[in-house]
Amino acid sequence: MNKEVFNRDHILFDETAATQEEAFKSIAKFACDSGFVSDEQAYFEGLKAREQEATTGFKDHIAIPHCKSSVNKKPGLFLIKFKQEIPWNALDQKPVKVAFGLTIPEEGATEHLKLLSLIARKLIDKDFREGVLEQDDPELLTEIIDEIEFNG
Amino acid sequence: MERKIVAVTACAAGIAHTYMAAESLEQAAKRMGYGIKVETNGAIGAENVLTAEDIEQADVVIVASDIKIDPIRFTGKRLFVTKSIPAIEDSEALINQAFEEAQVFGKKGSKVGKIQIGNDKEKVNFFTHIMSGISYMVPMVIAAGLILTIANLYAFQKDDLGRIVNWGFDNKTQMGFLMSKLFYVGQIGFKLMIPLFAGFVANSIADKPAIAPAMIGAYLVNDPEFLNTEAGGGFIGAIVVAFIVGYLVKGLKKIKWPRLLVPIVPIMIIPFIATAIITLIVLYIIGNPIAIGMDAMYQGLTNLNNNYAGAPILIGAICGAMIGFDLGGPINKTALVFGTAIFTDTLTKYGIDGANFVPGTATQAAISVAPLGVWLATILFKKKFSKNEKIAASAAFGMGIVGVTEGAIPFVAADPIRMIFSNVVGSAVAGGLAAATGCKFYGGIGSPLGTFIGYIEQPIPFITWILCVSAGILTTALLIGFTRKQAVEELAVEQEEQEHLMETVNE
Repeated sequence: MNKEVFNRDHILFDETAATQEEAFKSIAKFACDSGFVSDEQAYFEGLKAREQEATTGFKDHIAIPHCKSSVNKKPGLFLIKFKQEIPWNALDQKPVKVAFGLTIPEEGATEHLKLLSLIARKLIDKDFREGVLEQDDPELLTEIIDEIEFNG
Repeated sequence: MERKIVAVTACAAGIAHTYMAAESLEQAAKRMGYGIKVETNGAIGAENVLTAEDIEQADVVIVASDIKIDPIRFTGKRLFVTKSIPAIEDSEALINQAFEEAQVFGKKGSKVGKIQIGNDKEKVNFFTHIMSGISYMVPMVIAAGLILTIANLYAFQKDDLGRIVNWGFDNKTQMGFLMSKLFYVGQIGFKLMIPLFAGFVANSIADKPAIAPAMIGAYLVNDPEFLNTEAGGGFIGAIVVAFIVGYLVKGLKKIKWPRLLVPIVPIMIIPFIATAIITLIVLYIIGNPIAIGMDAMYQGLTNLNNNYAGAPILIGAICGAMIGFDLGGPINKTALVFGTAIFTDTLTKYGIDGANFVPGTATQAAISVAPLGVWLATILFKKKFSKNEKIAASAAFGMGIVGVTEGAIPFVAADPIRMIFSNVVGSAVAGGLAAATGCKFYGGIGSPLGTFIGYIEQPIPFITWILCVSAGILTTALLIGFTRKQAVEELAVEQEEQEHLMETVNE
C-alpha cells in the first residue's frame, strides 16, 4: 500500500454516528480534515447520491462508501470503525461496523486509483474481512491494509 | 473440456463495484471449475482486456455493469447482461443463470425491448409463410412482367410526329401478331402468379397436400366470373385462401386415418376434401367481400396517387421507414408484403401503365439503407467506432450491398434508440425519393447495385436509383455519426496504452 493513499492517520474510530447519514458526515469531515477533499458538504452529498444508485454495503458488516467527484483532490482510502452498528441496507442486510471510504478524483494518478480498486477486490477475501472487523489496534489494522500490493 | 466464461465488469465510479464484481466472479468460477477471464472497465481504463480469441473460445459472456457496455464485439456469442450487484452478491448463482439463460447476441429475431429485430429463422410465423410464397412468385412476376413490357411498348402506335395516337396491336403485320400474343403471355403469367403464390404459402404451412387446394382456391378468389363481381380478390384473397387451406390441411393430416387409406391420404383424400371445402368457403363466404373490399382499396389508392402529388412520396417514405424500423422483423415484412401486393394486384388489374409501383419500389430502395448506412458511418466517423464495430460494419456492408437488410442488426441491438432513429429516417428518405422521382422497381436486388443487377425503370437510367438510395444511406450515416459520442471502448484502450507508457517511464 502506498503511504499517500493510506496510512495510520487514515483510521478513525467513530463513537457517535448512529445513522447512515451521520456516518457519511463523519467520513466526509475526516476526509476533508485529512486534506483529500476540498468541499466537505459536496463530498457528503456525493456519498449520499452514490448510495441512492445502489447500496455500497457489502456483507459481514462492511461497506465501501465512495464517490467520484471534482472535489476529491487525490485518491485516498479511509478506514472508519463505528462503535454503534449503522443500518445500511447491505447485501446481506447486516448493519455496518466498518466502512472503507474512498475519495476518487475525476482524474488521478492511475497507480493510486489502482490501489483503491485492489481494496475493492480484497473485500471478497473472507480472511481480510474478518481481520479488519476483529482488529482494533491501529498499528495492526495498518499492517493488514498495507499487505495489499500489486500482484504483478 | 473445461467450459470458459468471459466477463466484463463496470460501475459508475469505476473503483469499487467493478473490482468487487470481477474478484467475486473469478473466485466463483474457480470454485465451480470453469475457466474465466474478466475485463474490468474501471476509472483506470480497461484492464485484462478480452481479446478476440478469448471471446471466440468462450461458452458464455457475462456483462455485469451499471453503465453501458457496448456488446458489439460479442456478436454471435451467448450473452448475459446484468448489474454489478448480482455478481458481487452471489456470483455462483449468476454464473449458473448465465449458462441457462444467456441469449445469442445480435442474431436475427433478437429483441430490443419489445421490438423484434430481424426475422427469427427458427421461429416460423405468418411472415415466414408469406415470404416463402413470394419467393416462388417473384420469378414469374419478372418473366411475365418483362414480356408484357416489351409487348406494351409495341402497342403504342405513334403518328409521324411521335405522338401516341392509339393503343392496340395491328394484327395484320407479323410483328403486331407476335406482340399481341406476347401480351397475352404476360397476362397469363400475372393470372398464374396468384395461385402460384398461394400454393407455396400453403406448402410452407402444411407441405405438398396443401398446394393443389390452395392454387385452385386462390384462382377462384381472384376470378370475377366465378364470384360474379367486378374484380377479383387478388393478393389479399390469395393470402386468406392460403392460410385457410394450410391450417385445414394441417388439421386433416392429424386425423387417424384407417391404415388401408394411409398411402392415398396425402395424394388423394386431403387434396380432394380441402379443395371441396375451400371452394365452398370462397364461393359462399369470403369471395365477394374480399373482392369488393380490394377493388375499393386499390381504386382509392390510385385516386390518391392521381389526385395528390404528395401522396406517393408520403407512401414511399412510410414504406421506407417501415423497412428500416426492425430490419426484417414484422413491421419490415408487412411493408414488403404490402408493396408486393399493391404491385402485383394493380399490375394485373390496370396493366403496366396503371400499375402502382410506389410501395414496392420504396421498400426496395430502403432495404440496403440501414446496413450500408452503418458501414458508411464507420468510414466517415472513424474515431467514433471501435475496432470491433468496424469489423461488424464490413460484414454489414457485404450484406447490404446485396440487399440484405439484416446486416445492421448487431448495431441496432447494441444501441437501439439512436440506430433505429437513424435507420428509419434514412430509409424513409430513400423510399420517399424513389417514389418522388418515379422509379419503378420490377425486380432485382434492393441495393444501389440493383440498378445493374435487376430491372428498374427510372428517369435517368442507372443514375436516379443510385442517387435515391445513396441519399438515404448518407442520411443514416450522418445521423449515426452526429448523434454518437466517442466510442467508449476505444477511450479505454487509449488510457491503458498511456498507462503502459507511464509504467515504462517509472521503471
